[in-house]
Amino acid sequence: MMEAILSGAEQLFNLPTLLTMLVGVTAGVIAAAIPGFTITMAIVLTLPLTFTMPPLQGVATMLAVYIGGYTGGMISAALLGIPGTPSAVATTFDAFPMARRGEPGRALAIGIWASFFGTLISSIVLILAAPPLALIAVKLGAWEYFSLVIFALTIVASLVGRSMIRGLLAGMLGLLIATVGADPLMGVTRFTFDLNLLSAGIPFLVVLIGIFAVSQLLSEVENPEQIKQGKALIASRITFHPLSALHEVVMHPINLVRSSLVGVFIGAVPGAGGSIANLLAYDQAKRGSRTPEAFGTGCSEGVVASESGNSATSGGGLIPLIALGIPGSAVDAVLMASLMVHGIGIGPRLILDHADTVYGMFMAMFLAGAMMLIVCLLSMRLFLKVTNVPKSIIVPVVMTCCLVGAFTLNNRVTDIYLLLGIGVFGYILAKLDYPLAPLVLGVILGPIAETNLRRALMTDDNWTLFFTRPVSLALLALAVISVILAIRYRMKQRHQAAALG
Amino acid sequence: MSSSTPQARSPGDRVCQKEARAKAMGHIVLNGLMAALFASLFVRAGDLPSSMWEPLGSGTFPRLILAVMMVFNLLIIAKEGRRYMACQPLAPHAVRDWLWRHRLAFGVLGLFTLLTLAVPLVGFRWASLPFLIACQFLLGARRPRALLIALVIAVVMSFGVDALFRHVFTISLPRGVWG
Repeated sequence: MMEAILSGAEQLFNLPTLLTMLVGVTAGVIAAAIPGFTITMAIVLTLPLTFTMPPLQGVATMLAVYIGGYTGGMISAALLGIPGTPSAVATTFDAFPMARRGEPGRALAIGIWASFFGTLISSIVLILAAPPLALIAVKLGAWEYFSLVIFALTIVASLVGRSMIRGLLAGMLGLLIATVGADPLMGVTRFTFDLNLLSAGIPFLVVLIGIFAVSQLLSEVENPEQIKQGKALIASRITFHPLSALHEVVMHPINLVRSSLVGVFIGAVPGAGGSIANLLAYDQAKRGSRTPEAFGTGCSEGVVASESGNSATSGGGLIPLIALGIPGSAVDAVLMASLMVHGIGIGPRLILDHADTVYGMFMAMFLAGAMMLIVCLLSMRLFLKVTNVPKSIIVPVVMTCCLVGAFTLNNRVTDIYLLLGIGVFGYILAKLDYPLAPLVLGVILGPIAETNLRRALMTDDNWTLFFTRPVSLALLALAVISVILAIRYRMKQRHQAAALG
Repeated sequence: MSSSTPQARSPGDRVCQKEARAKAMGHIVLNGLMAALFASLFVRAGDLPSSMWEPLGSGTFPRLILAVMMVFNLLIIAKEGRRYMACQPLAPHAVRDWLWRHRLAFGVLGLFTLLTLAVPLVGFRWASLPFLIACQFLLGARRPRALLIALVIAVVMSFGVDALFRHVFTISLPRGVWG
């Protein structure tokens, strides 16, 4: 074992690998900071560049892009209110209000530290618990998956904002949007109206960009007086104090560890990933907080939960990949492909046959986390300058980026039309105070829910199996508890409001 | 007593009341349209084929969602209908004022619409260049220096981005008829 660790370290700690990792982290941060560009896109674009590298250097570079990307998504979420990647949706809830009240440096610094600790914790869990966790994750059947989605859907109760019914409607709208296009099991087209535009369904990323970016950008230019004065996004003086942010992050150790563990577990479940983990971690943090009413107003706990939760999925996703050869997400599948290109067989024997590569990957996770921290802390002052740029420049530039992002996703012009339509719809919903996050959650969870419900009933049409299989029952019980707690919290809030007159 | 009741007297309350009434109308119209759409989709989903291999067909899951959504639509319409009745009527020029206040947002949206329509026709480069210049002009870049900056940004974000994607990422953005 020691020999394998030393061999892995030797392959990792050399100048070319360190340099390509540094470039990878920086590229990941920048790519994910641009709305419309996902971590998956960045990884896919990196893949051909790694073909000529030694195996560990290639994988380490891609891991660097991966980890940099999870942090980069936070930048536009905090500064523009537009999640740079799907895994940064919950970051907008608190980091953006914090930035808007004149503390963008604090929001970013807290996010960077939370991301770093999330990566660190997930790397430790990856090393210690990869085999047992992977075995649990892959034993989940369709029943358990469906129950897990039901549990995840109860997050809606925390994201609904002022009106529960409008939030629930938004969540259901997301589920409905996900049903457009080919049916996941039979391939029958649904609700396409024979339009080429809808024949391939409505891609999740197009919904995310349209709902958050277009509506947010239009809201930015609503006030002609501000625009006339050439106002920047954030008018106040910007400060950046990483050490005080570190203090704030470590002051919430339970929140940090819990959110990271949520991220690891969700990352380890094939098909889930960072887009769910950040919302689930945020929800759990809000429920566990002594001041849940502060969530959504720019509180540090919310930023810590979302960022540590999404960054921890990077280590979690590697658990089934390394232990069993099953990729947990699209990004993990690309990582797997890069190993296979170099003739490294993926599967349960990976750690036995290529121990040096696996230990090298473990070390690369820590190293990439540290590099991300350094790159972000050094470059954040530069990113913060975005807040000084007038809206007249930011708005058209980001809109162009959104259009490019929507197109490059599938190289389909029709996705641009969908972006416009969804953007307008999102703007109307935002003007009428419908919360947008439940809609996005619905689009993410819809296909997983439908596929697993139908698959479960195809395997055995006995509905009671959802309640008799222990893990499924536990997840459903958690969902019920979650709903009860949410209702109790809302009633308590209402009573407090009534008492205050 | 909610702030939307007729008992509110201060000017601030009156503005709030008018906004509440306008929003209530917005909710009623939106949910009415959605309910009608969902009802037609519900019927459509019933015609989707089922399989002998699974108890749930292609249409069951969407129908379940649509049914629940229609209930929510009706609940919102009922709730907002009560609020609408309780609020004072809007001033005759309220809609015009609102549209004027949001003129820049609608202007940007109009330009973005033109951009999305133009990209397949004239290509990304030639569609985004005028969009970026026009949008910056609309949002206040009027002086020579600001216009020069706007032009540089427009060239970088149209021709520059196109070149970056074509030569570095080997992804071809739409070329259009002038490709």
